[in-house]
Amino acid sequence: MSLAHETLASLRRRLSSKEIHSRDIVKDLLAEIGAREKTVHAFTHIDEKAALAAAEKADSSLPLGGIPIALKDNLNALGDPCTCSSKILEGYRAPYDATAVARLRHAGAIFLGRTNMDEFAMGSSTENSALGVTRNPWDPTRIPGGSSGGSAAAVAGRLAIAALGSDTGGSIRQPAALCGCVGLKPTYGRISRYGLVAFASSLDQIGPLTRTVEDSAILLSALAGHDPRDNTTDLRKPETFLSKPEGSVKGLRVGLPKEYFLPGMNAETEAAIRIASQWFEKNGATLVEVSLPHTPAAIAVYYILATAEASANLARFDGVRYGRRALDPKDLLDLYQRTRSEGFGPEVKRRIILGTFVLSQGYADAYYRKAQKVRGLLRQDFESAFTKCDLLLTPTSPEPAFPLGERTQDPLKMYLADVFTISTNLAGNGAISLPCGFTKSNLPIGLQLIGPRFGEEKMLQAAHAYEQSHDFWKRMPPV
Amino acid sequence: MSTSANWEAVIGLEVHVQLHTQTKMFCGCINQYGGAANSQVCPVCLGMPGSLPVPNEEAIRKTILTGLMFGCRIAPVARFDRKNYFYPDMPKNYQISQFEDPLCAGGTVGLDPFLFPKDLQDTDEAKAKRSIRLTRIHLEEDVAKSFHYEERSGIDFNRAGTPLMEIVSEADLRTPGEAFAFLGSLRQVLLSGNVSSADMEKGQMRCDVNVSVRPVGQKEFGTKVELKNLNSISGVRRALVYEIARQIAAVEKGEAIQHETRRWDDEAGATFTMRTKEKAHDYRYFPEPDLLPVRTDQGLRAAAETGLPELPAALQDRLMKENGVTAYQASVLAADRALCAYYEKAAAGTKHKAGVANWILNDFLATQPDPTTTPVRPEYFGELATLVAEGGINSAQAKKVFAELMANPSSPKALVEKLGLAQISDVGALEAFCDEAIAANPRSVEDYRSGKSNAINALKGFVMKKSQGKANPTQVDEILKAKLSA
Amino acid sequence: MSAPKLNVADVAGLARLSLTPDETIKFTAQLSQILAHMETLGQIPTGDVPEVVPPAQPILRKDIPTPSLSVEAALANAPAQSNDLILVPKIVE
Repeated sequence: MSLAHETLASLRRRLSSKEIHSRDIVKDLLAEIGAREKTVHAFTHIDEKAALAAAEKADSSLPLGGIPIALKDNLNALGDPCTCSSKILEGYRAPYDATAVARLRHAGAIFLGRTNMDEFAMGSSTENSALGVTRNPWDPTRIPGGSSGGSAAAVAGRLAIAALGSDTGGSIRQPAALCGCVGLKPTYGRISRYGLVAFASSLDQIGPLTRTVEDSAILLSALAGHDPRDNTTDLRKPETFLSKPEGSVKGLRVGLPKEYFLPGMNAETEAAIRIASQWFEKNGATLVEVSLPHTPAAIAVYYILATAEASANLARFDGVRYGRRALDPKDLLDLYQRTRSEGFGPEVKRRIILGTFVLSQGYADAYYRKAQKVRGLLRQDFESAFTKCDLLLTPTSPEPAFPLGERTQDPLKMYLADVFTISTNLAGNGAISLPCGFTKSNLPIGLQLIGPRFGEEKMLQAAHAYEQSHDFWKRMPPV
Repeated sequence: MSTSANWEAVIGLEVHVQLHTQTKMFCGCINQYGGAANSQVCPVCLGMPGSLPVPNEEAIRKTILTGLMFGCRIAPVARFDRKNYFYPDMPKNYQISQFEDPLCAGGTVGLDPFLFPKDLQDTDEAKAKRSIRLTRIHLEEDVAKSFHYEERSGIDFNRAGTPLMEIVSEADLRTPGEAFAFLGSLRQVLLSGNVSSADMEKGQMRCDVNVSVRPVGQKEFGTKVELKNLNSISGVRRALVYEIARQIAAVEKGEAIQHETRRWDDEAGATFTMRTKEKAHDYRYFPEPDLLPVRTDQGLRAAAETGLPELPAALQDRLMKENGVTAYQASVLAADRALCAYYEKAAAGTKHKAGVANWILNDFLATQPDPTTTPVRPEYFGELATLVAEGGINSAQAKKVFAELMANPSSPKALVEKLGLAQISDVGALEAFCDEAIAANPRSVEDYRSGKSNAINALKGFVMKKSQGKANPTQVDEILKAKLSA
Repeated sequence: MSAPKLNVADVAGLARLSLTPDETIKFTAQLSQILAHMETLGQIPTGDVPEVVPPAQPILRKDIPTPSLSVEAALANAPAQSNDLILVPKIVE
């Protein structure tokens, strides 16, 4: 069997016992990539030579020694491109390592491939990439989700063992759900954002996309922890997650937020989630109905705050110090306007304009400041719900993967698809998406567990128990 | 001051001060002037994608200290905000600054009379010792430095991200002289706290001025004009003199003052309209999401308090009261802490502290010494002042000792020996001299005894000459009088 | 909250974007739709939302120098440079 089909945990054991070598994994992955990448297009860059060279030097005694990991193309890795799938960062080479990348390097990991994404992480389908679309490995006429579509497609399509993504409004979890793999967004402040090209500073988090919950826990353990270079990281002592999997959900109180189960939901999604929740009940958990009353306001709050922060975060892309610069600018204004207008795609422009507007004089109070206050209410909703339950269970996405091109002319409709994931970013909680079923047309359906802030251990335990009682994680997309 | 009797000027200042820290505000690059271009930069201060700021604790401490020195309210929780605008010297095209919750609010700057321009120090304006209110003091990051060529500009990011403290005054100033004194007084306090060297001509302190005029007695402010490109404290005064006159001339003609920014041209001696921007900047301030709010009440304020120096006003008071120095001398000492420390050491060993001040400020200072490295030990001045005051030598002799002290620094007592200048106070020796004088000047003796008391001066002169200037004049006077009336 | 006057061209100018006439029309329509969706926020009472309490210990950086980039590394991505300065069209005050 190809090593590309194995889990990180399994490969780790076999590397450590010298049964296999890192180069064997890289070679098997490259074979898979050779066979299917042309269709899937999960990657923006692959440096075969560098990966093989790194594999030769890998130290399998280290916690991730010799494990190849794919990086979303918005994570700085010294000397490598970091395009954010945008034209404006053409030619840019990172002068430093993101902390997350450095931590993986320090743990012995090697890097194979930079994955495709929606430009600057703005999108839910990876169709906003300036470097071509990525296709869902389960059905290449459909989206893989976004913005970490490349990472999800690579992991699900067996073109990567594991990948890092970033999640601002669901960008790890939703593609994980649509591609049938595991996607974890940690609590805000768990993993350092230093080196992650910022979209929305108070919402962004880096997280792993993997085949299994155990793999996810391994990567979370390697990445989490305070970073003096990121003022927003938490000071908690580092922990090893899921070191003792209990395999039981007995006594767990599982909350079902009523605002996430609306009439007219996609029937197959609804059914899969219902069956999943019944599994929890049958295995000793108690189902509790809870309410997150401000949920209907979440999309508005998100698109005000995220775009406001993004409008400032993306101001630095001006052609002055790095990246693409417009040719022969006649003056400064021309330099700025042409560089940015030529360099950014329409979704990015739309969000920058919206973000600039909601901060502008005369409107900031009604939009930005109001949204900040409602964000506080959303946070309170979660805190209050977690007094009644230990975990929340919801669908990750309102529907399975839709066809490529279906929503590209309707941004609002695209935004509304984020409804189940967005609130967790606003509240700062951690959440995980894992496979819980398939549609009749063999499209994956994802289940989301949301935990209290810094409650990843309990969340991973429950997710692992559920996962291992089912076979969904073993299913592979058709060749 | 040529302010028309009917008009008064209303002036507010916005001062940016470069903080004296080892590293920049949000990254660990060194904060040092004069480095090779773009050699003191990193992903953070270059605004590279993915970089994040982390605040410099020392910069915050120094800002709190500054607030304490000016009597400001220190915010228990302070926040940073993003100020958004595009400019090539701004790596992120937003500046991390403070808007809603600055570190310091309120406070005052006392106008030191000795820090008025020399030609105004005797005026009521200076003597009034007014107190100017501050609005706020906050912390932000500085921008890069640009160099302009014919068709292009080149940017050096070494300065980008260095800590900058912004001090905003209320519109309490009324004259160019006061503005001059404000800047000098502000600077003196900053120096005393080792917060900044605040030298305007080195760009360590930058100042923008807001000035308007109004009829005396009117409560409402007139239209204000902002002045930029002020490169020295005296430049600020000159610019204000010009601008106030310009505004008064205009309103007296019935013209409206444009609300605008004008550039001071020191060579031309005038202000000129800058390229007017039609709309005021919309900075779209919002709280910096990459930074946690800063609580000052968990140790930062206490740490700042330990750095509180003796403020210039208090120092001057103490020197005048306890050491008997003049107000002018106190102001000179307060302006130069190194010199002041030297003086205090010199004065410590003697009760003639005012005398020590005279020697140091009148004589020693003229030799342009470095008080921290001079081989002339401060104690020598204490000795010298004591010698003069307690009759060891007279003032003419003391000048000789001083000259020798500068050339070959060593204890004045030893120098007096070396130069053979010891004042003769021995009665026997003096009596001998006086006898000689009386014997050699019968005419003067006659004159004195017949009522011309001034005739004694010739005898005294004779004694001083014979004794090579060493005779104690007071004793000589007594002895001669005693002998002549015998 | 009344319908906002979104002048896409003006706002784009603030963000240093220049839009084609087509883009301006399209974005105006799309953004107006999005903003209409956001009108609902105005109805949510937010009188007593508690302020987020900042953590007790400010996490600050000690004033100790750390290594900077070499000049080469700093300028490696610069689109135009000369004499170690990054070049831009002339800045006019």
